[in-house]
Amino acid sequence: MSMIFKWLDERLELKKFKEKFLSKTFPTHPTFLLGETALFSFITLAATGIFLGFLYEPSTRMVSLFGAMVPAAYASVVRIDLLPMGLIVRRIHHWSAMIMIAAILAHLLRVYFTSSYRKPREINWLVGLSLWGMAMIAAFTGYLLPYSQFSVTATSIAYYMAKSMPWIGDWAARLLFAGDFPSEGTVPRFFFMHVMLIPGTLIGLISLHMLILIKQKHTEPRTNRERKEAQGGRRLIGIPIWPEQAVISLSYFLFLLFVTVLMASYIPLNPIETYGPPSPGTPVMRPDWYFLVVYGFLKLVPGDLVFTLLGGKITPETIGGVIFPALNFLAYALVPFFDGAKDPQHYMENPLHRPFMTSLGVGAIIFLCMMAVAGYIDVLHITPKAMTAYALVTTAAAWGISYVLLRWYNRKRGL
Amino acid sequence: MVEGNSGKEGVNKGITRRRFTLGVLIASLAGAFGSLLTMLKVLAPEKKGAGYATTIQPGDVLVYAQGNSAGASIMASAMKAGDAVLAYPSGKTSNPANLVQLIKLDEKAFKPPTDVALTDQGFVAYSAICTHLGCTVSWAANAASPDASFTECRCHNSIFNPAEGAKVVGGPAPIPLSQIGVKVRQDGMLAFTSDFNGPIGPQV
Repeated sequence: MSMIFKWLDERLELKKFKEKFLSKTFPTHPTFLLGETALFSFITLAATGIFLGFLYEPSTRMVSLFGAMVPAAYASVVRIDLLPMGLIVRRIHHWSAMIMIAAILAHLLRVYFTSSYRKPREINWLVGLSLWGMAMIAAFTGYLLPYSQFSVTATSIAYYMAKSMPWIGDWAARLLFAGDFPSEGTVPRFFFMHVMLIPGTLIGLISLHMLILIKQKHTEPRTNRERKEAQGGRRLIGIPIWPEQAVISLSYFLFLLFVTVLMASYIPLNPIETYGPPSPGTPVMRPDWYFLVVYGFLKLVPGDLVFTLLGGKITPETIGGVIFPALNFLAYALVPFFDGAKDPQHYMENPLHRPFMTSLGVGAIIFLCMMAVAGYIDVLHITPKAMTAYALVTTAAAWGISYVLLRWYNRKRGL
Repeated sequence: MVEGNSGKEGVNKGITRRRFTLGVLIASLAGAFGSLLTMLKVLAPEKKGAGYATTIQPGDVLVYAQGNSAGASIMASAMKAGDAVLAYPSGKTSNPANLVQLIKLDEKAFKPPTDVALTDQGFVAYSAICTHLGCTVSWAANAASPDASFTECRCHNSIFNPAEGAKVVGGPAPIPLSQIGVKVRQDGMLAFTSDFNGPIGPQV
């Protein structure tokens, strides 16, 4: 072992690298594991994706499967499910995607509520938002690949959403879906985007996110400030990347993998054999949870809301499928510029001490949850109009009440 | 050696060597990326048809679109008031634009804007492609009161009233489903008698 190390060190100067890079201080806080969860899920996704990529056939040509003629993509996924370990790898892949998006959201909320997006970290907030968007697009392009009835319906909805963009919709839809949908071009194009273009972009964005993080360092817990002052002003309090942080991260990765495999083993999802190959009827189906917000909002837009704006046709589809998601991302992107700071901030804020931003966040969470509930108005037997009213009232109430409570709390603290 | 302008002195004299080089570089990059944009046109294949284009001809026989009897002719006697099935014209089942929902209601149940001339013995047919985002519509049967059954798109819960020309009575669909003429033939099979009376598919 030491001989190998010596041989490598003489060529790559590993010792220098360790001193310069691996000894960097890494502040600790349990919530810092949220971002790591997303990163590790991405690694699991890549690993399981490579396995699936060997077995999947990105084609809609019709082949025979147990005597029935089905698209080759669907048949290849059914065959993956029948392989020893095949189904569980596919489920780990799907579960990891859900965990990755959940972790990104939790991480985003952590950064938001601790105000860690302020100067100098605005750029990394934007990079993080792009990562979230990219992860959603990655998940979405993955929907189509098994080419089940569910896949085709979901993708068809997205095709018409893309098409409903004013001015460029028709062209943009043909660009993204390689022609009209359904047509034979879409699956190969989505496959390429899903296994190459999007993961490549994700790797690039993750690297940028980490590089900026290493350059700017984490925001530290407030308590570190007093400790630093007591110790005479060290720049950061934490543990070195090697070996402490590395051991923590590796143990956490293995634990996360354990949880993912456990879930994949016992909780089935996307049972394509139940959905079956594409057929004329549309079953009752809902998208994965992270699309529920857009899905629910689409149900609330009244059908008669059609108008023309500067030659572009605005329909309920445009409002629900294009304008609403775009406005959401725009609002999140503006957060660090709306709530800026003049001087660089290096400590996490206590959300209880920031009534305005915290209550705004609470209101936004309630609004998004209500939009997800709107995805279930058919089983809850609520009309779209009533649901819209409920959503607005609960959002306003959550915002207002949390603001008043926090103001009261801070007045009691003497601020 | 030729005397060159250094950056600072050159500001007063107009264009400097450095600015000229930078300008040429920017122009070249813009040109290079601009020409790449034309590739986007190649990547978006030309339209084949104009969205949903039906190939239904008057006289085509209706067949079941799904289930165990998919492809078999639909007999008028097999349906009672309040029933609905998805149907294709016989032999033209690969074109999704041809998918219709065949509904049987009480003959007296129809109200405007239903085109009663396109119905026969309580049979009425509408395009089965939701005008919102293109899902196939379903039938929400009301066993207690068959004529109060309605057509629903299960994707985003658009609701259409088949007794009133598939008028939108709820949800995000912008326009009604288009009606198409059907009649019961002598042999009890159903056949189309016309083309759709309006646009079909998502109105985007």
